[in-house]
Amino acid sequence: MIIIGGGATGAGTARDCALRGLNVLLVERNDYSTGATGRNHGLMHSGARYAVTDSESASECISENMILRRIARHCVEETDGLFITLPEDDLQYQQTFVDACHRAGIRADVIDPEEARRIEPAVNPDLIGAVRVPDAAIDPFRLTVANLLDARLHGADTLNYHEVEGFVINQNRVEAVKLLNKKNGEHVEVRGRVIVNAAGIWGQRIAEMAGVKISMFPARGALLIFGHRVNNMVINRCRKPANADILVPDDTVCVIGTTSDRIPIETVDDMRVTREEVDVLLSEGVKIAPSLATTRIIRAYAGVRPLVASDDDPSGRSISRGIVCLDHAKRDGLEGFITITGGKMMTYRLMGQIATDAVCAKLGNTAPCITADQPLPGSEDESIFKENPAKRYSFGLRAALGRHGSLARNIDRDNDIDNALVCECEGVTVGEIKYAVNDLHVHNLVNLRRRTRLGMGTCQGKLCSCRAASLMGEFSHDVKGAQEDLAAFLDERWKGMRPVAWGDTLREAQLTAAIYEGLCGLDMVVDTTGKEDVQ
Amino acid sequence: MRTDTVIIGGGLSGLTCGIALAKRGQRVTIVASGQSTLLFNGGSMDLLGYIDGQAVKAPLDVIAQLPIDHPYRKIGTERIADLADQAKQLLEDAGIMTEGSANANHWRVTPMGVAKPAWLTLKSHVCIDDIEQLPCKRVALMCVRGFFDQPNGMLANGLQQMGFNVEKKEFTTDEITTLRRSPSEMRAVSLSKRLVSNSSLKRVADQINALAADADMMLLPSVLGDEEAFDTLQSMTVKPLRLVATLPPSMAGIRMQKQLQHYFRMLGGNYLMGDSAVSAVIDGDRVVSVTTAKLGDMPLRANNFVLASGSFISRGLTADYERIYEPVMDLDVDADANRDNWTQFGVLNPQAYSRYGVKTDDSLHCIKQGKTISNLHAIGSVLSGHDPIKMADGTGVSLLTALAAAQDILAK
Repeated sequence: MIIIGGGATGAGTARDCALRGLNVLLVERNDYSTGATGRNHGLMHSGARYAVTDSESASECISENMILRRIARHCVEETDGLFITLPEDDLQYQQTFVDACHRAGIRADVIDPEEARRIEPAVNPDLIGAVRVPDAAIDPFRLTVANLLDARLHGADTLNYHEVEGFVINQNRVEAVKLLNKKNGEHVEVRGRVIVNAAGIWGQRIAEMAGVKISMFPARGALLIFGHRVNNMVINRCRKPANADILVPDDTVCVIGTTSDRIPIETVDDMRVTREEVDVLLSEGVKIAPSLATTRIIRAYAGVRPLVASDDDPSGRSISRGIVCLDHAKRDGLEGFITITGGKMMTYRLMGQIATDAVCAKLGNTAPCITADQPLPGSEDESIFKENPAKRYSFGLRAALGRHGSLARNIDRDNDIDNALVCECEGVTVGEIKYAVNDLHVHNLVNLRRRTRLGMGTCQGKLCSCRAASLMGEFSHDVKGAQEDLAAFLDERWKGMRPVAWGDTLREAQLTAAIYEGLCGLDMVVDTTGKEDVQ
Repeated sequence: MRTDTVIIGGGLSGLTCGIALAKRGQRVTIVASGQSTLLFNGGSMDLLGYIDGQAVKAPLDVIAQLPIDHPYRKIGTERIADLADQAKQLLEDAGIMTEGSANANHWRVTPMGVAKPAWLTLKSHVCIDDIEQLPCKRVALMCVRGFFDQPNGMLANGLQQMGFNVEKKEFTTDEITTLRRSPSEMRAVSLSKRLVSNSSLKRVADQINALAADADMMLLPSVLGDEEAFDTLQSMTVKPLRLVATLPPSMAGIRMQKQLQHYFRMLGGNYLMGDSAVSAVIDGDRVVSVTTAKLGDMPLRANNFVLASGSFISRGLTADYERIYEPVMDLDVDADANRDNWTQFGVLNPQAYSRYGVKTDDSLHCIKQGKTISNLHAIGSVLSGHDPIKMADGTGVSLLTALAAAQDILAK
């Protein structure tokens, strides 16, 4: 069977299918987790946010939340969350909210505003009410990679930078996928008995290629990343979901979001953040944590949620936020083609399970789903956490442990070169880069950033990107390629910085220009104009 | 406190102006808030490197082609050659020995192995007069084991493309091996502190001599703390030795900053390190005093003031959510009012903010609310109308506007 899409859903489906003994190939047109998976809050919902408006989603969230704490320990930071009521909000809503949480099985404890200020000093001190819930932070890049690694350990193949160009359809059955290898321009055809469309918002296009119609309703959300972690707990507004009402601490930074706008399907590849989005995020964000007003914004980004119109209402008036699994044999008379979409990053595992159940039903496979019980690679073994490393290597090792869990044992750290820090902000060592290049499908610096957080910290890759480019150039023996890669990395960072290029972010941009253009002359040897954005 | 001239900013332009004034007997106070952008300098000064993306061969010949609002045009084409000579002499007086002339650019070699046009380059650093006629053929690139702030592969590749025959060699010494045990210590500044004594330099010389083979020239990353260390090492090597700039912090830049500061103090200058100007009292068309963060209610009074506070990096200019302004005196600036126009797509494209700065009249006097301030000059990167990134004119503007302003002040 073939899975199209290398986001959390595709990766989760690949893992589940592989664990049930199926022969799996996953294809992704860019890098893994480049769509909505890598473009959200990094929030592990408790479900509280949906408790009042969508009890089904709320129940799914709390159930998956508890599962991920077990199986993806190394991707999760158990921060807990607050739902705060501000003077401009209706305090009556708090009781409605708490009741709905309890009905969905979500722990929700009303706490005193004074207590809220004590446990989360960043919170707006004017709050008049607070509820504590089991929200947490999760790293979606790490989560996706862990699922892919496990799928591969169980026999799956995964190909990134392979784009679907079409299907071979014979007598109402999809028999093969036509692929373009974007690295070398080759066209290949891969046969499969069942094909799963897990392409998120791009699933509509994939379905069209197979001759079936799905009506997606792209909902765009923009977010801002701040230069350091002002809060230690997730902070939400206790009111009906609205713009910019969640602040999530993610590793060394924090993220405010999101906006929510319906956009035309043709524009889903345009991820530029507008001035209006930035303005809304900032003005609402400071209400949650006033110190955001004086905290440097390091970048802005946007993602597109794959919402789906329900089949009995193609007008789109009733849009489901829940999981949608379409067996196109039953729906459209097209055999061997399944679409899994809707849902949330939070429920990726459940979506994988539902899609795999549908695949197994077609193939007559009766193996049970074990993804809820079996820990992901990196979370399965605690022994390395108890290891007591030599003190002088502790920062790099501890950072790597946080990122790779028990898989950090595969990182070379026997000599001083492997232990040398390349990225000081995030504690990435030479050894970790070697590991990522060898084991985690890293072809360029942007891939490396998603696997290791190199360049994601406060300086946004000021010097580490050049050090890493130089190292990767040595591994690949392609110096020219390494320079182009470096320029592409800096350009990708700039895309996120530009919408917020004032204050210290503009200063950082000028510093980057002074180093890479003024001092180094990178602009003299690399031409990035007019290149397709393949990251 | 009263002095003849108060200079806000202690980087290249502020120190150059201060030295020129102090040499002529003025009492000068410099307010220096922190590290200067010389930290990102690779050991060269540029006067004018590019026009419309084309490398400039003879900077003096093309000054007249610059836009009318470029600082060089304000100084006046005819004064540039003389000021350029003075600048080279001033650097030499401070102990900064350079090669090059304003009549013809030479090429410096960047940490990534790119040849960029330059006006003056430190004598200890590699430079090439004519890229068509290389001074030698075989180069041994000596790489310090575990030092990642020099992209050796890119550097070697760039030198190859210029026509050199490059051999990459890796070496280490006991001092460097000790340093490597700490995962974050392999930076140029730490190395420079270890490579001071004759014995530690001798160990480096022994290593690189053994690797030199038949090279005509040895290249070493610029990780030495001063010229003396370079001279010592050079005297011990079997082949001519030159340094190549590294990624920041640049030891070449740090050295120049130290030498200029030292020279300024030797001339009796008052260098207030770690203090910053916060506000000024302006009466009519004159600045009366400047208040600093540390001196508080003891404002600095002077006959003349010079703004040498740099660009955004150095906080000489501030951009906030709504506007771009000069933070000490809220002087008039040349900058677009619409935030969307400050930048453009493509990180390596020309960026508009790079040309922003304070407005000045033709004598580099600052302007506030449309009125010229007669005893306040602006010099260096805080000035509008030039582009250090795309024109490679940053250090030249700093040096020459500093000297021009000093002449103007002394002529009063």
